[in-house]
Amino acid sequence: MTAAFVSTSYLGTALLPSIGQAQTALANLEVEESTGQYADLGLQLGDQSGYELSLKNQTELLQTLTSGNNLVTTNLTTSQDALNSLLTDAQNAVQGLTAWSSAGTTSDATLQNLGVNALQSLIATTNTTSNGQYVFGGVNSGVAPMADYFSSTPSAAKTAIDAAFQTAFGCLPTDAAASTITAPQMQTFLSGPFAAQFSGANWTSNWSSASSVDASDQIAPGETIDTSTNANQPGFQQLAEGYAMLAEFGGSQLSSAAQQAVAAAATPLITQGLNSMTATEAGVGASLQRVTEANSSMSSQMTILQTQIGNLDNVNAQAAAVQLNTLSTQLQTAYELTAQLQRLSLAQYLPVS
Amino acid sequence: MSLSVAYNIINSAFLSTAAQSAVISSNIANASTPGYSREIANVLTNSYGGSDVASVTREASRALLEQVNASTSQAASEQALATGLATLAQTVSDSASSASASGSTQNGDSPSAMLANLQSALTTYEASPSDASAAQAVVTAASNLTASLNSGAATVQQVREQADSDMASSVSTVNSLLNQFSQVDATIVSGLATGANVSGAEDTRDSILTQLSQQIGISTTANANGSTSIYTDSGVTLYQNGLASTLSFTPTPTLTAGASGAAVTVDGVPITGASAPMAIQSGALAGLANLRDTVAPQYQAQLDQIAGGLVNAFAETDQSTTAPGLPPLPGLFTYPGATGLPATTAMTGLANVIEVNANVDPSQGGNLDLLRDGGISDPGNPAYTYNASGSASYTGRIQQMIGAITATQPFDPSAGLGSSDNLGDYSNASVSWLQGQNQQASNQVDYQNSLVAQATAALSNATGVNLDTEMTNMLNIENSYTTTAKLLTTVNDMFTALINAT
Repeated sequence: MTAAFVSTSYLGTALLPSIGQAQTALANLEVEESTGQYADLGLQLGDQSGYELSLKNQTELLQTLTSGNNLVTTNLTTSQDALNSLLTDAQNAVQGLTAWSSAGTTSDATLQNLGVNALQSLIATTNTTSNGQYVFGGVNSGVAPMADYFSSTPSAAKTAIDAAFQTAFGCLPTDAAASTITAPQMQTFLSGPFAAQFSGANWTSNWSSASSVDASDQIAPGETIDTSTNANQPGFQQLAEGYAMLAEFGGSQLSSAAQQAVAAAATPLITQGLNSMTATEAGVGASLQRVTEANSSMSSQMTILQTQIGNLDNVNAQAAAVQLNTLSTQLQTAYELTAQLQRLSLAQYLPVS
Repeated sequence: MSLSVAYNIINSAFLSTAAQSAVISSNIANASTPGYSREIANVLTNSYGGSDVASVTREASRALLEQVNASTSQAASEQALATGLATLAQTVSDSASSASASGSTQNGDSPSAMLANLQSALTTYEASPSDASAAQAVVTAASNLTASLNSGAATVQQVREQADSDMASSVSTVNSLLNQFSQVDATIVSGLATGANVSGAEDTRDSILTQLSQQIGISTTANANGSTSIYTDSGVTLYQNGLASTLSFTPTPTLTAGASGAAVTVDGVPITGASAPMAIQSGALAGLANLRDTVAPQYQAQLDQIAGGLVNAFAETDQSTTAPGLPPLPGLFTYPGATGLPATTAMTGLANVIEVNANVDPSQGGNLDLLRDGGISDPGNPAYTYNASGSASYTGRIQQMIGAITATQPFDPSAGLGSSDNLGDYSNASVSWLQGQNQQASNQVDYQNSLVAQATAALSNATGVNLDTEMTNMLNIENSYTTTAKLLTTVNDMFTALINAT
């Protein structure tokens, strides 16, 4: 073989493969220019596909967590508002009691009204819902945490308190016989059988349907927090006890001294409740803070992840544009050469005889 | 010397120019015929001083042809593998339309992406466990995941079956080519013995060899009588001394997971498959066998491991506080006929049949709340109920399920992705494995094709026709013809002068 020898068939087809390659590359580049990503990511990334997929999956998870956190924030904010209103009510009740004590009038129903209103407000607020779920229900958020104490069919709580009073004094607070009860007797009753109504099994069976287990939720990868509080917290028990005391015995047949004893017992209870509620509210506030921090940390993580995904998926637009130009020049040259080579035949230059 | 001798010389010159013209015409006519080797007329001086075309030589290059055939075999083998892998890669393809700038994360339909969707759906459900639509989203995501595994496994089966049927047609092509080859080879041997021009037959024989190398890697040896013997690239005789071997292959129309297809045999000796002592290395047949017997089954095994891993990860355990003794049962993910959890070594074909438990799917009469409360495996059995009180905001079980996706669990190392990993990473690794194989095969195809192009160009330049050269030769012959004709006239004039003088 002589090195200088070139077959005509090769001469005619030599540029065909490179034209084909250039056209394929051109088609890919067009896709890459318009989408900003490699035309075939799987083929481009190869072994790294799984890594890229895991970055995308992580981003998706963070996005889901972030949007789920909106719900958590709503629940926590609702709880916080409710707790705030309970605090206000409790403060008003304490003020009312102080006013009542200093006024010295004992005959009217001021004390009872104070208790009834506060108790009704407590029950209504405890049954606050957010997205159809009772925020103070703990995990048992599908059931109202507190039943209506003043319902026409006497509630379990009221029935139990009446029964306790009956056992202690042989009559109901509304009976005339109740006027003989002395202040020490009343104090003993309030700190004994009455107080027992607001703790342990009596509380969970008569007063609260809430679960002592709080609902929890993952707010960031690996970070799970309690996203609710529940009506079995001491604050709810103390307030309910204080308010119920006033509602039941404030406007009854009780003697002035016994009423003073009731007021004297209710005041510290409500104050304690106030403190407990403040602590609960602080806990909710802390949870809210954690959600906010989790969101901002996830947001910055997502930015980093997006950058990494971009590094893998995205084509350099400038490079692609330059490549596009180079390729089209190359294609044009190839076309021109092919046409010229086709003309390059000895037969064209021989004189026709 | 006499004038009549001059006549004879002139006559031989005419014959020789005619023979040379015939060779040139044949060359020009076949200038564009692939595989045509140019012919050269060998002109010699004869005994009385004239010229004869003693023989016609075919400009052939055995070495270059072998190179073309070898690279063709390699390219065909890689092409067969790449086509199958590209089909498989479709099932995990990452759609280019998921513009990352917008933060959209549509990752195609890979099990890995579907698993991430399930994790997201569970996370959303965890935030509102009493929300039936969030529970439904989890079941839908779980169904999508099983559908992705099912369709991935179905694609594997389809790819294997396609490879099997391609092998069958490749085998019949090889047999028919070997048959043609034996006829052409016989023609050449007898033609050479009788001194006939066998250039055309030799071209045909070379072209059959190139076609053969598409299907199966071959090597050839030339024999003294002009016959060519063919062996596979592993050394099994395909054609020798006029005897062509026959390739046998029994197609397997249905190749379920774990089932293996038949091997291609030559005279009873298997030439494909792991057990073959002399397995062929290249050609479409080798690529298809590799795809059918090694690559696709390995991906199937990975899908099966993911499916089995899902069943195990979402299994429910006995929740009895006193003496829990019941075995764990498949929960959200199960498979027909499940009586317990599958062992990592007994998961073959699980990807084809894995399904969402009907007990939790409302469209099949199931109860969505079981997702939160547990008891999917055996509704009504308190032992498998996690949320005994039925609390609306109970998230313990949901958190367990999310944790199960990211918990390390054992896998069968024979699937090629290690022996322990978490489900998410394992399914990502599977995508990496597949796309890595795909990329490698695709690069190999490009590389081998360019080798084929180079070898073909070299062969074409060594043995092909250059029209300009032929044209120049033609002009030479034309001139020589013109001169000879002039000579004839002159000699004729001399004779006439001689006759008239007397």
